[in-house]
Amino acid sequence: MFYRLSGVYHTSYATERALWPVPSDRWQVGIVLALAIAAPFVLPSLYLTSYVLPWIVWSAAALSLTLLMGIAGQLHFGFAAVMAIGAYTSIHLTRAGLPFELALLGAGLAAASIGCVFGAAALRVKGLYLVIATLAMQYLVDWFIINVPAISGGAQATLQTPDVSLLLVPLGSDTANYYAALLWTVLVTVLVLNIKRTSFGRALVAIRDKDYAAAVIGVDIFRYKLLAFFTSSFLGGVTGAFLAFAYYEAVTPEQFSFDVSIQLVAMVLVGGLGSVIGAYLGAAFVLLLPIVLTHVVASLAESGHLPVSSSLMAHIPLMAYGALIIGFLLYEPLGLAKIHDNVRKYFLVWPFRHTQS
Amino acid sequence: MDPAYFVELFINGALTGLMYSLAALGIVLIYKSAGVPNLAQGAMIMLSGYLVVLFTSGAGLPLYLSIPLAAAAMFGFGLLAERLLLRRMVGQPIIMIVMLTLGLEIFLRGLVPGVLGAAPQSLDIGIGLAPIIVHGIFINRAYLVGGGVAVVMIAAALLFFRTHLGTRLRAVSDSHVSSWSVGISVERAIGISWGLAGMSALAAGTLWGSVQGVDWTLSALLFPALAVVILGGLDSVWGVLAGGLAVGILGSVVPGFVDPLVGGSTRDVVTSLIILLTILMRPYGMFGREDIERV
Amino acid sequence: MKGQATMKGLATALLGSLAAAALAFAGGASAADKEPIKFLLAQDFTAVYTFVTNEYNQGQQDYIKLVNANGGIDGHPVELIVRDTGNEPQRGIEAYNRAVQDGAVLVDFLSTPVSRAMVSRVLDDKVTMITALHGRGDASDGQTFPYVFPMMATYWSQAAVLAKYMEDEMGGLKGKKIAHVFIDSPFGREPLKILKALADKKGFDVKAFPYPSPGNEQSATWTDVRRYNPDYVTIWGAGGGQPVSIRTAIRNGISPEKIFSVVWLAETDVRQVGAERAKGVKRFEATATGTGTPIMQDLVDKVIEPGNGSGDRKNVGTTYYNIGVATMAASVEAARKGLDEFGAPLTGTKLKQGFEMLKDFDATGLMPPITITAKDHQGGGYGRVSEWNGKAWEPQTDWYHAYQDVVWDEIRSNAAQYEGN
Repeated sequence: MFYRLSGVYHTSYATERALWPVPSDRWQVGIVLALAIAAPFVLPSLYLTSYVLPWIVWSAAALSLTLLMGIAGQLHFGFAAVMAIGAYTSIHLTRAGLPFELALLGAGLAAASIGCVFGAAALRVKGLYLVIATLAMQYLVDWFIINVPAISGGAQATLQTPDVSLLLVPLGSDTANYYAALLWTVLVTVLVLNIKRTSFGRALVAIRDKDYAAAVIGVDIFRYKLLAFFTSSFLGGVTGAFLAFAYYEAVTPEQFSFDVSIQLVAMVLVGGLGSVIGAYLGAAFVLLLPIVLTHVVASLAESGHLPVSSSLMAHIPLMAYGALIIGFLLYEPLGLAKIHDNVRKYFLVWPFRHTQS
Repeated sequence: MDPAYFVELFINGALTGLMYSLAALGIVLIYKSAGVPNLAQGAMIMLSGYLVVLFTSGAGLPLYLSIPLAAAAMFGFGLLAERLLLRRMVGQPIIMIVMLTLGLEIFLRGLVPGVLGAAPQSLDIGIGLAPIIVHGIFINRAYLVGGGVAVVMIAAALLFFRTHLGTRLRAVSDSHVSSWSVGISVERAIGISWGLAGMSALAAGTLWGSVQGVDWTLSALLFPALAVVILGGLDSVWGVLAGGLAVGILGSVVPGFVDPLVGGSTRDVVTSLIILLTILMRPYGMFGREDIERV
Repeated sequence: MKGQATMKGLATALLGSLAAAALAFAGGASAADKEPIKFLLAQDFTAVYTFVTNEYNQGQQDYIKLVNANGGIDGHPVELIVRDTGNEPQRGIEAYNRAVQDGAVLVDFLSTPVSRAMVSRVLDDKVTMITALHGRGDASDGQTFPYVFPMMATYWSQAAVLAKYMEDEMGGLKGKKIAHVFIDSPFGREPLKILKALADKKGFDVKAFPYPSPGNEQSATWTDVRRYNPDYVTIWGAGGGQPVSIRTAIRNGISPEKIFSVVWLAETDVRQVGAERAKGVKRFEATATGTGTPIMQDLVDKVIEPGNGSGDRKNVGTTYYNIGVATMAASVEAARKGLDEFGAPLTGTKLKQGFEMLKDFDATGLMPPITITAKDHQGGGYGRVSEWNGKAWEPQTDWYHAYQDVVWDEIRSNAAQYEGN
């Protein structure tokens, strides 16, 4: 009843291969996009800057990582280091006088080239060993950033972002920051949505499924693995720059530590590997859950229902976060995207019961 | 650099490395039988440290009672973790299992300090502070004891794998299907290996807890333990010994040369480079067994 | 029909309850004429700062309970918003935004990365941020950082105080060797500039000995220190690394008498080493310990004895607890001055000006007399050296400050870099 599948037929290949062949899906996407654009005028400023803005930027980061982990199948536990490279490069370039757009490009290229070095490990090993190799590289990059004062900003180890303008609009007000982040995230979303329809995407999927079988049918593994790392690191680097300029406004090395890499992987896994909606849902889950839990626990404690010490109270969000990750992996390994898919399939044929695919 | 300094760095580094092997032994025990990397080993070390403190300071028990009690508790914890969490994940891709163990690590890092206290607590196992001086070389007494315990545990592990139960575990590590077909209970064997890993975590937790105090930073031992395991080979107990010595010695001697030039501490860089170079040149480590992937 | 009657009845009941609620609200509003003053304490309970946050926060909460028991600040109750940030700037930003919306006028993060990330925001939003004993040392420059108040001696001043003690009480500095053993982080490295500047001036040698974070394994570093054969050793770490430093030093034959520590060395740390073994270790102290001062006595009588304490009774009077009490004592005094001078309601700007009116404030002996001006947000950099005598920390001198000229050179050059951003 909600999905009006009857009357949906195709008369050309183009419409059949559309991203959202069902009109209801197109409407949904349109409404979400309209809400996103209208958000600064509808939402109070607190929710906009503390919840929606970081959620959007981290979704872009999760999308970049799901491109690498979900579509190309290369595990990467050092993505925060890639984002750090992008953030620091963009700040140094803008301080050197480059316009922001060029600085973003430079940040992406710097992150991509060092990301390719990470990728070189992928040419050698996969699975658990790739996880540990990228983990070790994360530590190395962290160490360099902290111990080279020229990169990290001297003894104070904090770099303030200079005032910049993106496409002639100065960044600094909440609205401008939000629209800049939204623009970038929409671009990344469109890219990842369409990637599987290109030959590049198909090659990545072939490599993910069985790389030597892909080699047998003529896919150049060397080139495509490196390209996967290059692309996803480029996107990650620019996302790191946006994170620094639109949200943090000052960068310290702790913002891109090993824990952040684990959070990114959790976002991708809990959301669902390889899925675009999963990246958004996973980012919301991992980012907002500790904050929401902190507030819930705090209000319960203040109203007297939960007589616990401040210390235990502070640890409860961490416990719940770990427990929810475990719960998801045990009971729904395909993640939130699968749950979303189940719900959609339910409504596809509601009020009847049998799904069609 | 004068030879006495080098020898001292070498010896203390070797002892530190043996202490790291204690932490790494659990990972190898589990990987050997289940094929699963247990990235929650650091958290298990932290948990065991807290348990010993709970029994000694909280319940006032003497050390020779608390340690066996904690050992039993950790064995039970290992069994429980395997039964409740890992058994459902059989056959799932490795990334899921890694993330599950990481989720367990986060959960424990929240639960244990939250309930048992987040500030560092002291764990005294009676090792004195007076240095041991041999020919002008200072040897760290606590690390000497720790190194001794590590060697004993590694030897015990090697001997264990020759016993009846150990042979069954080795069979399980070779092939699950073949073990089932000859009547070995793979589930029970894997459960036991998790329990044994819990006990080795206890040894690591007690010794490291006495050196650095018991708090959440004990779970950070995962990183050097990973280096030991990668260098030595994920499924080799000899590798734990060799890898531990190598990681410890390199981590002590190289920063001794390089730190004054760089002005910062390079020990983590050395550990990361060990991991990277091993993976790039010889992924299965010095003594690990190579897995052949079939099309 | 029955259904309709029920609906009608429901509607009436709903309207009635709404009306009652509205009346209660209006009635309630008129009763509250003294709005609460809100402070945000968004600190790190679960990550790097666990060694201090618990006791520090407990001290802050207990002192505010005392203030409220004594009638608040000119009748305004003080409300604390306590949150965990896990040392993550993004959670700090969220907690900060929410609290500022709610009307918070003071924030305390007790985390160097989080407070550094928040500096530009507090300056824009005109909210006072206190960074006692952590954060940017150059925030002492009140002109560049009008809303940031270190309030107590920064790490630069702490190093200077320790150096002066060595010069006056331990037989001089000329020709001596100081080993600075520190955790390899910006915090650990901070005093090096001051020590090196003083080394040039006073003719001694200082050498840096970093150990890797988190500091649970320092044997190689201390082997190096032993070979350097220093006259004095300064240890600059925090949390678990500190007892490891002292133990490893003793194991390398370095006497505890030679060891001088940063403020982050508390009773629990020396007890971890062994109360008797650590005898003779000295540290920088910013507040008095114990419950002897009048303010602490008042707190014990009115909050702890009646059973209203915010945590473990054992923590009352320990070093970190007292630092928490001192920070809130100074903040409450500043709020009082701001209200008296400028009237209710209290804003961040009025609180800032209240801080800058603090003159010789010493919280009845709990801390050295601090004087904050528009130019100097540090309060003079006072402190003293205390020694562990096996049972407690015994102050060795009176409150003093040292080499503030060298410290302010450093503050000015660092603050200039911020301006340049």
